Amino acid sequence: MPAATTTTAAPPPPPLDFKNSDTIPVLPPSKHQPSLRYPSSGSHRKTIYDRSLSRPPSATSLPAFAYLFNTLITYHHAKSGSVSDIETRLNRAGYPIGVKMLDLLLYRQAAAAPGGFGGAGKSGASGARPTRLLELLQFVHGTLWRGLFGRQADALEQSTTKKNEYMIVDNEPVVNTYVTIPREMSQLNCAAFVAGVVEGVCDAAGFGTEGVSAHWAEGEEMWPGKTIFLLRFREEVMEREEGLKAGGGGG
Amino acid sequence: MASSSKAARLGEEVWKSRVDKINAEVLTLTYGTIVAQLCRDLTLPATANKTDYAAVNAELDRMGYNIGLRLIEDFLAKSNTGTCSSFRETAEVISKVGFKMFLNVVPQVTNWQGVEGKPQAFGLVFEENPLAEFVEYPDDGRAQDELWYSNILCGVIRGALEMVQMQIEAHFVTDVLRGNDTTEMRVTLVRYIEDEMPPDDE
Amino acid sequence: MSVYSFYIFDRHTECIYTKRWTEHHAPPTSRPSATGALSNGAADVPVATRRAMKLEDDAKLIFGTIFSLRRMVRQLGGADDQFLSYRTGEYKLHYFETPTQLKLIMLTDMRVGNMRTVLYQIWATLYVEYVVKSPLAPTEHPRGVGVANELFEGGLERFIESMFSPQP
Repeated sequence: MPAATTTTAAPPPPPLDFKNSDTIPVLPPSKHQPSLRYPSSGSHRKTIYDRSLSRPPSATSLPAFAYLFNTLITYHHAKSGSVSDIETRLNRAGYPIGVKMLDLLLYRQAAAAPGGFGGAGKSGASGARPTRLLELLQFVHGTLWRGLFGRQADALEQSTTKKNEYMIVDNEPVVNTYVTIPREMSQLNCAAFVAGVVEGVCDAAGFGTEGVSAHWAEGEEMWPGKTIFLLRFREEVMEREEGLKAGGGGG
Repeated sequence: MASSSKAARLGEEVWKSRVDKINAEVLTLTYGTIVAQLCRDLTLPATANKTDYAAVNAELDRMGYNIGLRLIEDFLAKSNTGTCSSFRETAEVISKVGFKMFLNVVPQVTNWQGVEGKPQAFGLVFEENPLAEFVEYPDDGRAQDELWYSNILCGVIRGALEMVQMQIEAHFVTDVLRGNDTTEMRVTLVRYIEDEMPPDDE
Repeated sequence: MSVYSFYIFDRHTECIYTKRWTEHHAPPTSRPSATGALSNGAADVPVATRRAMKLEDDAKLIFGTIFSLRRMVRQLGGADDQFLSYRTGEYKLHYFETPTQLKLIMLTDMRVGNMRTVLYQIWATLYVEYVVKSPLAPTEHPRGVGVANELFEGGLERFIESMFSPQP
């Protein structure tokens, strides 16, 4: 049953009348008629609106995730011409997850904080998004990693050569658990997907990047899967940070 | 492997002691990106952005089939269940061991049809569906009538059972995402697959 | 104790993996060029090809044998019965079949005991982990494509080495 999406030309809305200031003008109802159906009331807690967002997430099996992740890789592999092409596609696949995770994690932090929503205190606890670069990096390294993988990342470092570059290190990315890379594609690191998630978080928090990418750490004996996520922030982000620092704002 | 309570115990045990875990939301969101990608890539002929939902359903089923072919080996190696003696037992093992072990949910086996030796079918009713958490369909007037969001699961079961010599047909009949009160998949046994014979020599 | 060879057959009755440990036979690598140079008949098959055909024939024979044995055992002992091994005057053949009809077969000398758990472990810890879960390998393995990857080969080599003392 196709919904009535074809629009008959709506009559122009009546001009708003501000002369009689006793009444607040109400805009005519919008044309959009939601057509989605929902389960009847008998089946409780079935739609997304009936579930508490702050409910702690349940666990599922790592193999189930691995099968899906492999499906994602295979799908993009088939459509890609090169290693960097696959990585870009995986990055794009992860990006929207980052945008959503930022909101979800901040919401949960706020709900769990003693003061509840809008409670005083540092941004971490109140559910406000990080506003300073270090806060954001700690959020990614700690909160985001814990939210996704149940542990924090293994290291957070600043590049010694470029001041807009930061590195987050994961010794053993969970997503790569079952991924074996054929020799002819040895540069490929499928954690590009996680890099996309990180990029999504940074962008959504207002810290634009020139890209977040995943790289194999060279010459690692202990951790053969060690991966470095390279975050390259935009110039204007660095300038804003400098300005905030100079003004002594924030804390 | 006989009674359903035995299957339930085995499922619990495998889930508790032999399976690595991950936050279910990561699974949910990853699956979401796959479905969203397909909805963008598979469009109706001569349209730029009108999703061909039938094609998405088919592709999800195909992806699941390929997963199922692999997953069954993993399942058998971890759970050590032998060969099922009846299709009823197969249903119990799918629900209480298979789904428990891989998704940490136990769909209810319902609506039996047929008896041994006749066409048999059962329903799997999902009280919880980790794939579909956080999901709401686009309000485009078509998705709710055409898309089966979790269709990958049908393919998984089809692929997995084919490897243990059962040809089945699986499809969703209801989904809360479509506004139904339940989410149910029907699984129908088509036939048991005979052993393949080696090609004749000379 | 020594192991001679190892085979995997898939549900389509195809041999998807072969591994031989017998090294007492003369290495074939030096021969082909020599015979190739001496022979001039077009009908003459290069030794390497003949050897490959021999291997393929062996695999076929083995499959035929276990296929018949397996059927016979079921007819005599019931549908759930399985044969575990048989022994000749020269060797012992060990057999393990998964519910997915993957058939793992190992040929060893006659003194070797029950190898069922060993074959089970090769399947559960090597085949499932390294072949089945490898995302860029095909799902099924016509002509054995994707089975003999580095991780699986290496794992099998080490596992067998730990079971059997190295060959003299």
